[in-house]
Amino acid sequence: MILELHNVACTYEAGCSAIEGISFSARKGDIIGLLGPSGCGKTTTLRAIAGFEPVSAGEIRIQGQPVAAVDRHIPPEQRQVGMVFQDYALFPHLTVQENVGFGLRHGSASERRCHIADMLALTGLSGLDQRYPHALSGGQQQRVALARALAPKPVLLLLDEPFSNLDPDMTYRMREELLHLLKTTCTTAILVTHDHEEALGMADAVAVLYRGQLEQFASPEIMYHLPASPFVARFVGQADFIPGTIHEAAVKTPVGNFPVPQDYRGGPEVVVMIRPDDIQIGENGSCTGTIQSRQFRGSETRYGIRLPSGDLIHSSASSTQRFPLHTRVTLHLKATHTVLFDRNTD
Amino acid sequence: MLPLVYVTVAAVTTDLAVWRRLWTTRIPELLLNTLALSTGVAVIDLLLGVSLAWIVTRYRFPGSRTWEWVFILPLSIPSYVLAYTYTHLLKRGSTLELLWQSVAGPEATLVSPFSFAGAMLVLALNTFPFVYLLARSAFKNVNVSFEEAALTTGASRMTTFFRVSLPLIRPSLIAGLFLATLYVASDFGAVSLLRVQTFTYAVYQQMTGRFDNDAAACLSLVLVICACIFLFGERRFRRQSRFYQTTGRYRHPVPRPCTPLAALLMTGYLLIVFMAAFGLPGALLVQWTTEALVAGTLSSAFVGYVWNSVSLSGLTATAAIVCSIPLAYVASGRRTWASTVCVQGAYTGYVLPGPVAALAVLVVVLQLIPQLYGTRLILLLAYLVHFLPVAVQGMEATLQQITPNLEEAARSLGARPVRNFVSVTLPLVRGGLLSAWILVFVQCMKELPASLLLRPPGADTLAVRIWLEASEELYQLAAPPALLIVVMTIPVVLLLMYHDRHAL
Amino acid sequence: MKRWIRACRRGIPASVVACVLVAILAVPAVSHAEDRLVVYSGRAERFIQPALDAFQAESGMTVQLLTADSTALINRLRLEGARTSADVLITNDAGTLERARELHLLRATPIPDLEDTIPDQFRAPDDSWIGLSGRIWVVVYNTTMVNPDAISSILDLGDPRWEGRIAIPNAGSVYLQTGVSVIREINGDEVTIRFLQGLKKNAGSFVYGKNRQIVAAVARGEVAAGLVNHYYISRHLAKHPEAPIAMQLTDQGDEGMGMILNAAGVGITAHTKHLAHAQALVRFLVASKGQRLFAHENKEYPLNPRVPAASELLPLHRFRVASVPLSHLAQLRDPTMTVIEDVGLR
Repeated sequence: MILELHNVACTYEAGCSAIEGISFSARKGDIIGLLGPSGCGKTTTLRAIAGFEPVSAGEIRIQGQPVAAVDRHIPPEQRQVGMVFQDYALFPHLTVQENVGFGLRHGSASERRCHIADMLALTGLSGLDQRYPHALSGGQQQRVALARALAPKPVLLLLDEPFSNLDPDMTYRMREELLHLLKTTCTTAILVTHDHEEALGMADAVAVLYRGQLEQFASPEIMYHLPASPFVARFVGQADFIPGTIHEAAVKTPVGNFPVPQDYRGGPEVVVMIRPDDIQIGENGSCTGTIQSRQFRGSETRYGIRLPSGDLIHSSASSTQRFPLHTRVTLHLKATHTVLFDRNTD
Repeated sequence: MLPLVYVTVAAVTTDLAVWRRLWTTRIPELLLNTLALSTGVAVIDLLLGVSLAWIVTRYRFPGSRTWEWVFILPLSIPSYVLAYTYTHLLKRGSTLELLWQSVAGPEATLVSPFSFAGAMLVLALNTFPFVYLLARSAFKNVNVSFEEAALTTGASRMTTFFRVSLPLIRPSLIAGLFLATLYVASDFGAVSLLRVQTFTYAVYQQMTGRFDNDAAACLSLVLVICACIFLFGERRFRRQSRFYQTTGRYRHPVPRPCTPLAALLMTGYLLIVFMAAFGLPGALLVQWTTEALVAGTLSSAFVGYVWNSVSLSGLTATAAIVCSIPLAYVASGRRTWASTVCVQGAYTGYVLPGPVAALAVLVVVLQLIPQLYGTRLILLLAYLVHFLPVAVQGMEATLQQITPNLEEAARSLGARPVRNFVSVTLPLVRGGLLSAWILVFVQCMKELPASLLLRPPGADTLAVRIWLEASEELYQLAAPPALLIVVMTIPVVLLLMYHDRHAL
Repeated sequence: MKRWIRACRRGIPASVVACVLVAILAVPAVSHAEDRLVVYSGRAERFIQPALDAFQAESGMTVQLLTADSTALINRLRLEGARTSADVLITNDAGTLERARELHLLRATPIPDLEDTIPDQFRAPDDSWIGLSGRIWVVVYNTTMVNPDAISSILDLGDPRWEGRIAIPNAGSVYLQTGVSVIREINGDEVTIRFLQGLKKNAGSFVYGKNRQIVAAVARGEVAAGLVNHYYISRHLAKHPEAPIAMQLTDQGDEGMGMILNAAGVGITAHTKHLAHAQALVRFLVASKGQRLFAHENKEYPLNPRVPAASELLPLHRFRVASVPLSHLAQLRDPTMTVIEDVGLR
């Protein structure tokens, strides 16, 4: 294990904890996504790992060594952790080369220069080594930040919302590049983001945080299909919640009946989570509804359908089909699994 | 501007023999002294200012909030007052020396106040708040991500401080050092009391020790040229070292709590610096003033000196504000060739150290309106030439806050320019007006060289009295006026701090 | 603070009015009231104020004192010309007064009874200035450190054996200038320059602006000896009777040049508008009452022979004085300054 967090809590002021009971771990080469809305504590978690926030309970281990606990605090500079800041924090008074070489202290000058050149080549920055940060584009700045963090060969790389300062199509390209780079260098990384696509798309495992608590830690697939809470369900993608009741081992809902999953332990009043891609607009379905809205999204079109019960449900359909607004359609549910939440505890 | 021209003309038309004599005897020594003094003070300022600012902004310990503003107080002590308290504090056989001898052995001596090192110490204690203030606000505003980024690459706190934090606040440090150096180079009070040969003191000596002003004019010209080179260099350097914050979002540094031992050490350090720069001199002034009051040596003449100072300073401040309104108006408006000349002309007063300004005013007045010599008006004129830039600067900053749109809006509503000024511009600049007035007032209260050289009989100001009594080492007599000036200056200095906090 | 500022803002019109009032009041241009005398004085205030106070008490006139450097006052009188408000000039150096006479700044006004008070050699040929009090330039030495027999001449202090052991006044001191003028006149430039070079080397950093500081330095034993005006020693002993200092009268041998004597004096300005009052002041100062103040308060030598010197002083007629007339000092001044500056005394 490269990184382990056991029940970590951080307290800003007495009695007011920013995060609490956070536990997850990362193996070598893993990319962990820390996902959550702003203020959920994901950056605090990251800073606790880096060593900028003292922990008030629990323990953090890096490569099996405890680095942070209540009575123990290894300072950031000794943790061998690289970090890419949201604003990159490139030293404005140093050139690209000096920025990247900042953390290098071992080896001769020529070795260091060689290493810097390697890093620049790896991040596609060759030729820019004498530039100052303010003369670089956003994407280039990010790459410098990445190269600087990776140059001292950290055991763990922390990325704090690395794409939030880039425009959307740049984001897309940089994500691919970053993923490629991390995988080729076999770098263990923690990626903080509020964008679920980014987290699900890049991470090997995702931790969703909400109000300082860990909601779920799982692989992207499980996170998406089997969310542990309605919050997670909503946060990792579009989800509709249809009320239902359990009656004789089946859930009765306005869109049809489902089997109750075996591990469900809650009360009889439930909501069923339904993803838009679980519902098809077709001929022989279990219920009907009226199309109320339509959003063309390229590969698919998303329809908002009002059920007779008054609930609104969404459906993705291939964009080659087109249903006009206000038409009555039949809905077909192709659920392979059912996700139920107790209505009274949410 | 005119005074500068006259000094130049007077210097250029001076007999070559005078130049040669000065060049071979005085100028190299003076240049070296002035330069060494400025450099020495700058180094001490840098050490004190940066370390204090770092402690105060980055650590949390009991009283750290209070310390933050306490270090602005030394600015309220005029250099000559600090110098004269130090002539007492550091003299042979003083309590301080006995204390030091009990630590370092009976043979140990303190640095003599009447030496280069003594003057350096006094001036550094007097000017470090410039560096401190600018470093403090820079440390408070620097994006802490830079430091964290450095730490995550494995750099130690030391490396981070020297390679990241310090370079990042370089522009602020340079600005602070620039202020301090200019202050030292143009200081007259401290160097004259401690008799360290710098340009300003030499100009004064030449003016008072010789029967003509030629040599004084020559030295003035050299000093003004040096000051101009310095100003120009500073501008260039600042332009080159301007940094760009790469992105917008930043995190303010949060003061770290520290261990009791560290807190104790830091408090001790802060206390020593504070006592040296303000506490001890202030206490001495209070003690002497009390002694003078008890002994009844405070004559009725004292009231006269207060009145002289207050009336002259009040008058100058008012005149400066009245003169600076059109100038600042021009300066903040659209830049044209003429406006630039006007404003820069007014600023030249800044480059002129006190004795030089006095000499310049003297020369001009004798050429144009000799009737003024020997009246208080010449003193007023000298103050005005010297401190007009202070007023213009204060006003300019205020006027710049008023966008042309505002005035255009008023005019589009039918207000004529005069009414426009009275009903829109004036109410908006009142605050700036007042603080500029106070600033000029206090500067005039402290002004020494021009007062010393140009005062008519019966117009001794508080500053002149302090200097006269202090040069006779009559501590008790010099203390009441000194204390009065310090007390009057403290609110102004705090006002500066208040503005500073608002600028953050 | 904010409230304070706001309050001030409200008070602006009032404060402007106040300032204008101040302005009007501040310019009561120098009034030429009949019973007011303006005295320009180059002497330290405490040496002259007692005499002026006594005069004010006796005559009921107001005396306004402007203290500055003697030379600066001459410059000032020259610049002010006929507009000057000064009525009387007092300096601590006869050379400066003679200079003022040459520049026609003083008025030759015979004062009745003068013959009976101040001897000829202490007056200008045309009585435009009159000496008030004499002072001799002596060596002050620390009795625990120096055998006075070792100093028979002032010139001895230029000897290398005094290196680091003597204190001297700075180059701006008129006493030094006068002293050097006399030495030059009697011994010639070569001897003088050698003496000054020795002095400069021996004094090192012990160069003071005030006689008082030199005496104090000798009393504390920082240096063994120093060059001062005699009355500073008496004044120091009056305050600190235990101080181990004494004065040595030099150059008394048959070959010796004699003591260097200078006089503080007074003159009436050429453009005075209060001649009668000015004459009254001069009369007061040369008469017994004024002279006694100089003798007893200041420990100077009164120049009125009917007034005895302080008892602790050797009477003026008991030692030999250098044979350079006071009126001659003025023309020696400028070449002396050049010599001093050439040697590079500070």
